[in-house]
Amino acid sequence: MTTLTTTSDADTDASPDSSPTDGDNTTTLRLRDLHTTFSSRGLTVHAVRGVDLDLHPGEITVLLGESGSGKSVTAKSIMRLYGANASFAGTVVLDGRGDLLAAGPKEMLSVRGPEIALIPQDPSAALDPLRRIGAQIVEVLRQHKAVPSRAAAKARALELLGQVGIPDPARVYRSFPHELSGGMRQRAVIAIAVSCDPRVLIADEPTTALDVTVQAQILALFRSLIDRMGSAVLLVTHDVGVAEEVGDRIGVMYAGRIVEYGPAAEVLGDPRHPYTRALLDSIPTPGVERGQLRSITGQPPVSGELPPGCAFAPRCPEAHDRCRAADPVLVDLPGRRLAACHLLTDDPDDTDTDTDTDSTAGPDSTAGPDSTGGPDSTATETSVETPAPAGEESAA
Amino acid sequence: MIRFLLRRLGLAVPTLLGVSLVIFVTIRIVPGDPVASLLGPTGSPEARVELTHKLGLDQPIPVQYVTWLGRVGQGDLGRSIAKQTDALPYVWEAFRNTITLSLFAAAVAIVGGIALGVIAATRRGKVASAISSGVSLFAVSAPQYSVGLILIVYLAAGRGWFPTGGMRNTTGADAGTVADLIRHLWLPGLSAALVPLGIIARMVRSSMLDALSADFVEALRSRGLPEWKIRWHAFHNTLPSVLTIAGLQVGYLLGGVIFVEVVFSWPGLGLVVFQSISQRDLPVIQAGVLVSALAFVVINLIVDTLHGLLDPRIRR
Amino acid sequence: MTATQLVGDDTAPTPTEPTAADVIPAPGDGSPSEATPKPALKRRRLGWPARIAGGVCVTFLLAALLAPLIAPYDPLADDRSNRLQPFFSGGHLLGTDGQGRDVLSRVIWGARPSILTGLIPVFVAGIIGTLLGLVAGLGSHRLNTVIMRTLDVFYAFPAVLLAIAIAAALGSGTSNAIIALSVILIPPIARLAESEVARIRSAAFMEAARVSGAGWWSIALRHVLPNAAPAIVVYCTALVGLSIVYAAGLGFLGLGVAPPTAEWGLMVNDLRQFTFSSPGISLVPAVVILIASVAFNVFGDGLRDLLDVKGDGR
Ligand SMILES: Nc1ncnc2c1ncn2[C@@H]1O[C@H](COP(=O)(O)OP(=O)(O)OP(=O)(O)O)[C@@H](O)[C@H]1O
Ligand code: SF4
Ligand SMILES: [Mg+2]
Repeated sequence: MTTLTTTSDADTDASPDSSPTDGDNTTTLRLRDLHTTFSSRGLTVHAVRGVDLDLHPGEITVLLGESGSGKSVTAKSIMRLYGANASFAGTVVLDGRGDLLAAGPKEMLSVRGPEIALIPQDPSAALDPLRRIGAQIVEVLRQHKAVPSRAAAKARALELLGQVGIPDPARVYRSFPHELSGGMRQRAVIAIAVSCDPRVLIADEPTTALDVTVQAQILALFRSLIDRMGSAVLLVTHDVGVAEEVGDRIGVMYAGRIVEYGPAAEVLGDPRHPYTRALLDSIPTPGVERGQLRSITGQPPVSGELPPGCAFAPRCPEAHDRCRAADPVLVDLPGRRLAACHLLTDDPDDTDTDTDTDSTAGPDSTAGPDSTGGPDSTATETSVETPAPAGEESAA
Repeated sequence: MIRFLLRRLGLAVPTLLGVSLVIFVTIRIVPGDPVASLLGPTGSPEARVELTHKLGLDQPIPVQYVTWLGRVGQGDLGRSIAKQTDALPYVWEAFRNTITLSLFAAAVAIVGGIALGVIAATRRGKVASAISSGVSLFAVSAPQYSVGLILIVYLAAGRGWFPTGGMRNTTGADAGTVADLIRHLWLPGLSAALVPLGIIARMVRSSMLDALSADFVEALRSRGLPEWKIRWHAFHNTLPSVLTIAGLQVGYLLGGVIFVEVVFSWPGLGLVVFQSISQRDLPVIQAGVLVSALAFVVINLIVDTLHGLLDPRIRR
Repeated sequence: MTATQLVGDDTAPTPTEPTAADVIPAPGDGSPSEATPKPALKRRRLGWPARIAGGVCVTFLLAALLAPLIAPYDPLADDRSNRLQPFFSGGHLLGTDGQGRDVLSRVIWGARPSILTGLIPVFVAGIIGTLLGLVAGLGSHRLNTVIMRTLDVFYAFPAVLLAIAIAAALGSGTSNAIIALSVILIPPIARLAESEVARIRSAAFMEAARVSGAGWWSIALRHVLPNAAPAIVVYCTALVGLSIVYAAGLGFLGLGVAPPTAEWGLMVNDLRQFTFSSPGISLVPAVVILIASVAFNVFGDGLRDLLDVKGDGR
């Protein structure tokens, strides 16, 4: 339903603060108002509630958030990796391929792998336990006709295994998954993911199952591969440390929405949304201990039963009446950032806001009153019109 | 792999001892006095004592067991009362025909069961799935003798499409050929296959569903593999456990096949046991059970080996 | 939380171990874990196939109970001049057999020994198997090993063969058939009971009971048994159909009741000589057993699914 030319898009583009990102040469993948709903046996779960996101080549965009916030669902919805019980709304535009949510199953088969690849969370679960590693790489290469012959496939597979830092590719090629360590397995999984030079790489908590030293190695490998291939990367994590280490941009997710977005250093250095602040405060000793985001008081909402108004209100230290009445929308902040919190829209007593400050984008005022706060209220999103990325300058 | 096999072989030894013990017990629980029945009403007390000693029945039970086990180890399973021959060769002769029938039925059960189970798992929520689930539930419940008789009435006796019984034609153009044997095999094979077919189908269905919901399936999907290739991966992953169940079912065929052999006059172990029951020819029955149990243990060993070959994770 | 964990899911047959004897459904074999995540709500009522099957089972039980009242003829009264009458002839709904006896009456009277020989072994094996499972599950490690390894031996036989061997050794007769069937049904029930007990034993409330100093019997009877019972009962229900088939099988082989008593298995064997001359009548008892078997199995399966739900929910 939402296309690239919604009012909000147009308005934000027009606003002087944010540079337009219409230049398709810098946006590989563009999500607009993505909704994902699961329904099974009469139960409906609105897991993603209007996410806007742009992925740029050579750049790592981190989705950060607690367990259950909808990070994985966002990531997998891009590839449409759900069965018949999931329904989507919005658009997922892959540069040059159009809207993936409208694409046929055949077309999705050619998108998955060569265009968008996934690195799943658990490396041991991502491999067929009964097939040798080599066969699993060759299978993908052959599927997408990335190589002319079986022999070429084998050569390429060995080359890939070398590229992901496996010391003895020939042995690993012949190994079964259970014969490898977790780190080696994850490298093999990465080798499969990058085998067809995908333009978009989605990594769903690629290092959570690994121990800390291996984690650092894998992240470094990740970074170098991306620098070389120039893929646009969406990295899902609940680990602030990981986000800090490799993220170029960060989107903080809460209850199926992005509540804060911006360049990594700025979001982590100067969080503007109370939830982001709570996230960062929950890290015991940054850099030493991995931040596990467990110590925010209260529980995240269950996706079926959202509170009216701001979904974070029940746990927010700064919640006030307005928060329980209306859902805040993402507003532009100085420094190419966005956040969705009533505290950022100077309006202490009136829910029907006027555009007071320079940082408040126009559409917020029109969207605000609509948001009566039911779980189904979907009318409140402005797009995350990301400011000109670092990648643009380097690409230009 | 060799070590794995040797360990499996080692594990089979206590099982075999247990089996022999159970059979020994079934020999001992026979009511009545064996000496009296052998001697008849005219036996003198002296003859009684002598025969009791000769049979070893005056020994303590454990000694009797060891003695019996020693004889069994040499292939002496006693003499058939009705035929007045050694039980083992007699039983073995018939058992070869039982193997033929069981192998044929096993092939039917495995092929049919896998097909039915895969359909039930992959066409979920569709008519084909409901039908194949229903068919497998029916198959599991169908007694071999009922199925056999129904098949005879509808496909053999009234129609003449298949022979009503026996294993080979003695006269006619194709007497004794393989084609003739297969013609005789169809109905008894199907009757014997039905129950294991249903069990295998259910097993395949549930492990296929498990495999299709495994994490690696999503990973495969994310790599752009078409659905049939993903199902093939899933199917491959069900094989180790399906093989185990299928192997066991092949073993259990040896039990159910008795009824089939009686119904179809198939000259196998079942028919021999059936005739021995009415003649109270216990040594033959015991020999038959022992041979079947042995075959069962051997099948389990083969299944274990195949399992090791199919699943690299358990080979050590 | 409540211990009604079903015969299912978590006791799925392990690949390396033999599962239950013969066609005895392995605990868990009929209830596959579905691909979807654990559904929050499931049906709490029997599906229509199970309800129809339940109706058929009740019909069989009633027929057995009320045989003297509803059987149109004396099942033993032969009438040589009236041999092999076809269906619906001369007041014989299902015709007459080779000795002119009314087949319907024999089927109705035959339900008594047939169903009894099927039901009693399940009861007996259910009690003994549960006891063995309790002792093995709550006893010392060594006791557990001894009991469970002994039971394993029985898995080395095709169950039917073992039943035949035992029944043949003991001699023909209903009670011997019941003994033989009980013996082969004990191992799978004991295995299930043992795994249930092991599961319950690790539950939190057991620790509380132990700490409070409750004795073995008190723990077994007051805490473990009530929690293990539903799963065991449902599993036993699922075994009834099978047991009836085995019982008729023994009768068929001449190891059950003696002629001329009406019993389904014996009738199958008696009538199969007429497959050419009176094919319809020759099939009657075979089909009756088939219907009974399917009905009891479908009903048992439905019950399994139903209780599975209660086990998951709170
Ligand atoms: N296939 C599905 N069917 C139904 N509901 C789902 C499905 N997948 C996810 N959900 C629901 O969507 C919500 C978001 O889940 P998601 O997996 O995206 O969380 P996450 O942010 O990735 O958390 P985690 O860190 O635990 O992976 C959860 O409430 C979950 O229950
Ligand atoms: S809108 Fe209100 S409740 Fe929500 S994060 Fe901001 S201050 Fe907290
Ligand atoms: Mg996740």
